Amino acid sequence: MVNDARPDVALRDDELALIARRLGREPTPVELHAFDAQWSEHCSYKSSRHHLKKLPTSAADVVLGPGEDSGIVHLGEYDGERYGIVVAHESHNHPSQVVPFEGAATGIGGIVRDVLCMGAEVIAVADPLRFGRVDNPDSHQRSVAVGVVDGIGAYGNAIGVPNIAGDVYFDERFDDNCLVNVVALGVVKESEIVHSHAPPDADGWDIVLVGKATDPSGFGGASFSSVTLDAADADANKGAVQVPDPFLKNVLMRATYRVFALLRERGVRAGFKDLGAGGIMGCSAEIASSGGYGADVNLDEVNVALDGMAPEVIAVGETQERLLWVLPPDVTPAVLATYNQEFSLPQIAYNARAGVVGRVTAEKRYVLRHRGRIVMDVDIDFLTGSIKDELPYEPMPEHTLRDADLVYPALSTDEIVELFPKVLAHRDVCSREPLYRRYDAVVRGRTVIPRGASDAGVLAAVPGSLLGVALAVAGNPRYGRLDPRRAAELAVVDAVCKVAATGARPVGLTDCLNFGNPRKAEQYGQMIAAIEGLDRSARELGLAFVSGNVSLYNESKSGSAIPASPIVACIGAIEDVGRTITPGLKRAGNALFVLGNFSPGFGGTVFAEILGTDDDFLPLVEYERLRMELELLRAAHAARIVASCTFVADGGTLTALARAAFAARRVGRDLGVEVSGEALFDETPGFVVETNDVARFTELAGDATVRRVGSVSKTAHFAIDDETLHVADLYAAWSKPLAEIYP
Amino acid sequence: MSRRIAVPVFPGTNSEDETVRLLRDCGGDARLVHWSQAETLGGYDAYVLSGGFAYEDRIRAGAIAAHDRIMDFVIEGAERGKLVFGICNGAQIVLEAGLVPGTGPIRRPTAAFTDNAPAAHFVCRHVYLKLTIEPSRCAITASLPSSALIPAWAAHGEGRLAASDEHLREIVDGGHMAFVYAHADGVADERAVPNGSALGCAGLVNRAGNVLAIMPHPERDAWNFNHLDRRTGSNALAPSGGAVLFESFVRAVERA
Repeated sequence: MVNDARPDVALRDDELALIARRLGREPTPVELHAFDAQWSEHCSYKSSRHHLKKLPTSAADVVLGPGEDSGIVHLGEYDGERYGIVVAHESHNHPSQVVPFEGAATGIGGIVRDVLCMGAEVIAVADPLRFGRVDNPDSHQRSVAVGVVDGIGAYGNAIGVPNIAGDVYFDERFDDNCLVNVVALGVVKESEIVHSHAPPDADGWDIVLVGKATDPSGFGGASFSSVTLDAADADANKGAVQVPDPFLKNVLMRATYRVFALLRERGVRAGFKDLGAGGIMGCSAEIASSGGYGADVNLDEVNVALDGMAPEVIAVGETQERLLWVLPPDVTPAVLATYNQEFSLPQIAYNARAGVVGRVTAEKRYVLRHRGRIVMDVDIDFLTGSIKDELPYEPMPEHTLRDADLVYPALSTDEIVELFPKVLAHRDVCSREPLYRRYDAVVRGRTVIPRGASDAGVLAAVPGSLLGVALAVAGNPRYGRLDPRRAAELAVVDAVCKVAATGARPVGLTDCLNFGNPRKAEQYGQMIAAIEGLDRSARELGLAFVSGNVSLYNESKSGSAIPASPIVACIGAIEDVGRTITPGLKRAGNALFVLGNFSPGFGGTVFAEILGTDDDFLPLVEYERLRMELELLRAAHAARIVASCTFVADGGTLTALARAAFAARRVGRDLGVEVSGEALFDETPGFVVETNDVARFTELAGDATVRRVGSVSKTAHFAIDDETLHVADLYAAWSKPLAEIYP
Repeated sequence: MSRRIAVPVFPGTNSEDETVRLLRDCGGDARLVHWSQAETLGGYDAYVLSGGFAYEDRIRAGAIAAHDRIMDFVIEGAERGKLVFGICNGAQIVLEAGLVPGTGPIRRPTAAFTDNAPAAHFVCRHVYLKLTIEPSRCAITASLPSSALIPAWAAHGEGRLAASDEHLREIVDGGHMAFVYAHADGVADERAVPNGSALGCAGLVNRAGNVLAIMPHPERDAWNFNHLDRRTGSNALAPSGGAVLFESFVRAVERA
């Protein structure tokens, strides 16, 4: 989707006309590219913002809602200080499809800066991934699946931020558009938050650019990610992908922590923002305009990697590893010295440094200078103001099926025993360990539950304190394909339940809406239905979205769009990490209950896919029951009668029971399961709870939906009626499939 | 006066904070020494080189850092008998600097921790280090019981010990093999080795016993909250597990 008259930009004719009208002249080349970036979907959310406004963004635990580079939720208090968890969630889908390693690595790089620039220490990353068919080792899809994982690992491992959560699905509908979402967490004292806007009284303050020398990489990145990908364009688009430098980022992060300390000592309030889409122009314009100011930037002061770069490339190119400060001039020399001398940026990477490139102005213009000439001079609010595309859409019908309406196939014990290893070996169910073993899950020494061991990762958030944070992601494309609205609801429910399974209290949500082409009414309608689903689910659970991102145009030129992919992350707060519910069966003789998972849902399950009888319906989420289940889990945990808890997800209740046995096996506890109640492959949300106190658990259960499914046995067997399987055999089926792709 | 431990920070180091925190929790007087303050390193009594990717692992992990100004002080200290403890990237650096195994008459690298095998990929996996020397053979392990098993995380892309047959023989004959990889029950077999390391080697000590290099990270499995199912005592913040090796190191520093 490019403009034929101006093939180098993605602005439409009506947008070009509006710009010329407001300027009273044709835009300069720099202005044209500036508007192209700033008015891209990526920067402006022009076709999504007015719908996203429906989502709840305030709740008891919200410290900072959407609007800045990251959102913040309250974690807890320690030593007289309130601590917040900073969270950002983005996508790097288009770049990763074209140049997988670099595309994914820069995704981590960007999200980490979003968290850092709130004044936070970056403590974790997570990566929800969606890949196409990977069976053919020579396919591009396989190289995407491998390159993305290696890129995420190479970057996160080097900067020393543990990867504690994530998921991955494989589906042919992602063949032309992989999804690489990234989530990052930071921890900050709530009294020390740094904001992404010029503070009050910033007139005349310095605009300081920090980091890598600006180069031509990433030119046109924002508008590139806001158009439809085509295999034929892929090579041409490679230049729009940035080049990662985790080594420089490692140093830049540590130098920035030192600068935070310096500013605190001097009692200075500064503005700080990540350079992402729209480069120097986008960042400096947004940090100034959101503070009520204008900006005057001299491109000749920018540290560049090459001579002779065109001003529009310097201005809007998206070179990685850069940040931008707004600082009072008397503090600037000390900040520059920290970056340039103490942390020796110029020796770390070619021409990397911190330097003054402009100043904040009271007049609300955005001015760029280059070689003594003014190359851009526009009303800053016109440049950064919200533009809106009211596009037509096809409303999605709402299904109102209840469990009673659904028919679940009756299976004999023989059939269950035959299907069980197949379900465990399914690509969407099997162990993710071969993949996440390439990520450092434990650097910084704060990991309580590493990636993959449980449904959520858990960290000790603040050294010296017992405060913990849990993180989980969800967004099942098999649901997205069937019903975008319900898929969005279930993404929220699943992420919340995964966090709750560790004993954490869910405190906040983020979302990334990955969809097709908003200019096609059906695909746009999917996004709007998904937003309705997110809204309903979050409100029903009393939670808010504090950060998010939209990735549209995930459609190939051949017209095939990805399944509706609302992907949600949930943050959980833990008062005492010592009380975290650890994964895996604990003791023979303990009782196993299923909590929730009441509805015999069949549509969208792995089981249905294996049987080849997928139906079209996802069951209704019944929030009243769900709230009771979450409350029961909380009460049972408080009563110290929860030995382990496993979320029922892909592969259903039997798979959850098997995963509980596998988690025990991993840490050398050879235990098994004797199934005595109904446990099958249906995937409606729920928990497998292991308890040592049946009477108390039953008493606490009250009206919550609970059923006894069996007991923990002292040998590593899996007994279903008169059939006995070996945990080791099931483990072999479950643990191997991805090792073929990630040896 | 208590003895001072330096944890030097190279450009690219990433495990400095937890390393200092654990040394302190084990009673050590430890502090970070940033590369811009390398000149102060001579004033410290012992050095812990922590994990990361110093100088981006260019050429080979540790190869550039081994020639950093920081290492002038560490090498000089080691030669005067100060204790030097390298972990992961720190271990790679002391090998590249030739401090360990240090089997020949001149200081030169005779072995390296290099690309994992069979798959040359980063691997993050929980492991156990098993002490295979007499504890007193190395000052840093002197307070450990014989055959001590220490929980830790392997988290590296270049952790496979590689050396010529002759140098591997010297490593074995000279008692340089401080640790091998093992399972939780102490059995040391091929399956316990996460990276294809020669001899199943997880750690090496120099001839004099004052320099120890280990690939896995005990400091990432070193507080009760890191391993709630194996906790000792009710305080989730108490050091335990991998902390025993740091406790032994701190005792050796105080004794030296």
